[in-house]
Amino acid sequence: MPTSDGQLTPADRTVLTHVLDQIIPPDGDFPGAGGLGLAERVERSSQRSARLRSALLSVLDALSLDISSRAEGGYAALEAERQISALTTVESSLPEQFAGFIELVYETYYTDDRVYKRIGWAGRPPQPEGFDLDPWDPAILENTRKRAPFWRQPA
Amino acid sequence: MTEASTPEHVPAPQTEIQGQTLVAAEGQSVPDVADVLIVGAGASGAAVAWRLAQAGFSVVCLEQGRWINPSLYPTNERNWEILGRHDWNWDPNRRRNPEDYPVNDSESAITPLMFAAVGGSTIHWTAHAPRFHPSDFRVKSLDDVADDWPFTYDDLEPYYDLNDLMMGCSGINGDPAVPPRSPRPMPPLPLGEDGKRMAGAFDRLGWHWWPSDNYVNSTPYLGRDACNYCGPVGFGCTRKAKSSTDVTYWPEAIRLGAVVKTHARVSEITVGSDGRATGANYLDREGTVHHQAARSVVVAGNGVGTPRTLLMSKSDAHPDGLLNSSGLVGKNLMFHPYSITTGLIPDLSETWKGPMGNILMCQEFYETDLARDFVRGYAFQFNRGSGPVNTSLGGAHEPVKWGAGHHEDFAERFGHVVTMAGIGEDLPELHNTVTLDDKLTDSNGLPAPKVTYTLSENSRRLMSHSVRSATRALEEAGATRIMANPLLRSGGWHLMGTARMGEDPERSVVNQWCQAHDADNIFVVDGSVFVTAGAVNPTPTLQAIALRAADYIAHEREDLKG
Repeated sequence: MPTSDGQLTPADRTVLTHVLDQIIPPDGDFPGAGGLGLAERVERSSQRSARLRSALLSVLDALSLDISSRAEGGYAALEAERQISALTTVESSLPEQFAGFIELVYETYYTDDRVYKRIGWAGRPPQPEGFDLDPWDPAILENTRKRAPFWRQPA
Repeated sequence: MTEASTPEHVPAPQTEIQGQTLVAAEGQSVPDVADVLIVGAGASGAAVAWRLAQAGFSVVCLEQGRWINPSLYPTNERNWEILGRHDWNWDPNRRRNPEDYPVNDSESAITPLMFAAVGGSTIHWTAHAPRFHPSDFRVKSLDDVADDWPFTYDDLEPYYDLNDLMMGCSGINGDPAVPPRSPRPMPPLPLGEDGKRMAGAFDRLGWHWWPSDNYVNSTPYLGRDACNYCGPVGFGCTRKAKSSTDVTYWPEAIRLGAVVKTHARVSEITVGSDGRATGANYLDREGTVHHQAARSVVVAGNGVGTPRTLLMSKSDAHPDGLLNSSGLVGKNLMFHPYSITTGLIPDLSETWKGPMGNILMCQEFYETDLARDFVRGYAFQFNRGSGPVNTSLGGAHEPVKWGAGHHEDFAERFGHVVTMAGIGEDLPELHNTVTLDDKLTDSNGLPAPKVTYTLSENSRRLMSHSVRSATRALEEAGATRIMANPLLRSGGWHLMGTARMGEDPERSVVNQWCQAHDADNIFVVDGSVFVTAGAVNPTPTLQAIALRAADYIAHEREDLKG
C-alpha cells in the first residue's frame, strides 16, 4: 500500500510488476510488461501528471485492500486467475482511475525499444525523415468528375 | 530595456521590456496609441493585422502565448506520442501551460480545444481548408432553421481566394459538391493506399468524394517546404509545410509594421464615457498590469476566449459586459459535433504514413434531404492510423483490451486503421453558452470560462446517420471490424456563434462588417461571429470574414488612423 505521502514501497513495486504482467501478458516467448522490468518506468512516468499519479496510487491502494489478497498474503501471492479477478473488481469500482492506470501502462509499454522491435515500429521521430507516398494521380477522379454539380444555389 | 537576439524562427528582432516580449521590424517603434489593437494572434487576428498594416494602419497585437520555435514541436522527438498527449495536448485543461486558461467543461457534452501562441490554434490544427457552401449562408430561407447570414457566399468568395493564396492551398478544382473556385496554388496531397481504398469504396457506392483543400504544402510554396508525409500534422510542423499563421501572415504583417506583444494577457478592453474602446489592460508574465491605448480594438480570441474577454470588460457604459446590450455575448455556442467510425482493414498496412487527416472528404450528405429525420447535414473527413501508443489507447474508441487477447487486439488495429470522421452542422441554441466561472481562475486570477452545452436532438440524429453511412463505406472498403463513437467528447476544435453577426442590434452583437452594434470602434473577427456553423472546418471561413472586415476598416474607417 502506498505511503501516506504517496510514495511506493518495495512491496508496491512487487505488486506492480505482477499487475503489469496481467495487464499486458507475455506473448509467446516475449515477456509481459512486468517481465520486461517496466515497473520502475511506470512509476517514474506517473510523475508526468497528477491525474496519472493518482491513478497509479489508487489502483495499488485498492488492490492492497482486496479481501483475497489480504487473506492470502498479498496480491503477488494470488493465483493468476484471482489476480485478474482482483483487477476486474478495481476496474468496476474505480473506472476513471483504472482507465488512467491503463493509459500509464500502455504509454510506458508502447514506448519501449524492445516492444518497438517486436511490433515492427521504427521508433524514430516522424521528422526529419517523413515517409514516401505515391504521387497524386488525377485519373482517380474520373468517376466523380462525371457527376453533375449538386450543391444548392440559394435564390 | 534589453535588445534580445533574433532567433531564426522569429521574423523580426525581439525586445524584452518588463516581462513583455515585443516582436517588431528593425527600427519599428510601438505606437503610444495604436490605430488598431488586436487581441489574439491566431488565425483571424493575423489576417487582420496583415491587411491593415498593408493599408497603412499602425497595428499592435496582444497575445497571451509565446512565439514557438518550430524545432521544438514534438515531431522532432522519439517520444512524440507522449508529448502530444501531455505537453502539447489540444485540451488546455490537460496541457496546463502557464499561458493557458482553464475551461470548466463539466456541463458540456463536448470539450473545447484551443492553443495559446502566436498562430493560435493553427499551431495544432490539421489544416483542413474546405469552404462553406452557398446554402450555409441561407439556412433560414432554405430550411427554415436558425437565421440567414447578413452576406452571401459570393460576397465572401474573393476573401476565400485571397486567404488561400496567403495560407497556401493544396487542392484541385472541379468538385461537383461545391461551386467552382479559383485555381488552387498547389496540386492535392497524395491519397496514399488507404485514401485510394476509400475513394474506390465511395465510387462503388455512387457517393461523392474529392481531395480536400488543404493548407499543407504539396510543393514548396513561398519559401516554405513541401510536406514529407510524416503523419502527426496536428502537433505543429517543424518544416513549416503546414500553414500556421506564425509562418504565413505574421512575418508579412511584421515586415509591414505590425507589432506583436507576446506573454500579454488581456484582462479588460477599456472604454471611455461614450462606451467606445480606448485600448486594453493586459498582464505581462510577471503579472504586472499595463495599458495599450488604441483608436480601435479588434477582438480575435476564439469563440470561447472572445466572450470571456467581453464579459470581463464590464463598465458603466457596458454593465453586462462589453457589447452585450443584446444579451447575446456568450450565447448560441456551436461546436461541430464529430462522429468517429473506424474500420480495421487487414490487407492495408502502415496506415500511419501520410498526413494524419483530411486528405479527402465525402460531401454526399451535406445538403438538407427531406427524406431524412434531420435538417442540414454532415461531411466525412478521412483520417489515418497513428503510432503504437495512440493505437493502443484507442483514439476515439475503447483502448486495446487488457489481459488475455491484448496482443491479438493490438495487432488487428496497428497499421490497419482507417477512420471516417463525420462532422455535423450544429444549430445555434440560446442555452448553449460561455459564461464566467464563479470559482475557477487562470494563473493571474482572472475568471475562467465555463462552457455549458448539450447536443440537440437534430444533431444526435445527424450523428447517428453518419455512423451508419460510415459503416457502410468502411465495409465496402474491406473493413472486417468496425468501431463507432457517435459523439467524440474531446472534439471541440471549432468554437462558434458566441458574438453572432446580424443587422438587428437586438438579435446580434456585430454587423456584417464585424463591427459591434454597441461601439463603432470595436470589431470581433473570430468564430464568435458565425450565425450558423456549416458542416466543414471553419478556419478558412473565419479568416475570409476577418479579411473582409479588415477591408471595411481600411476603406471606410480612415478616421481610425492617427
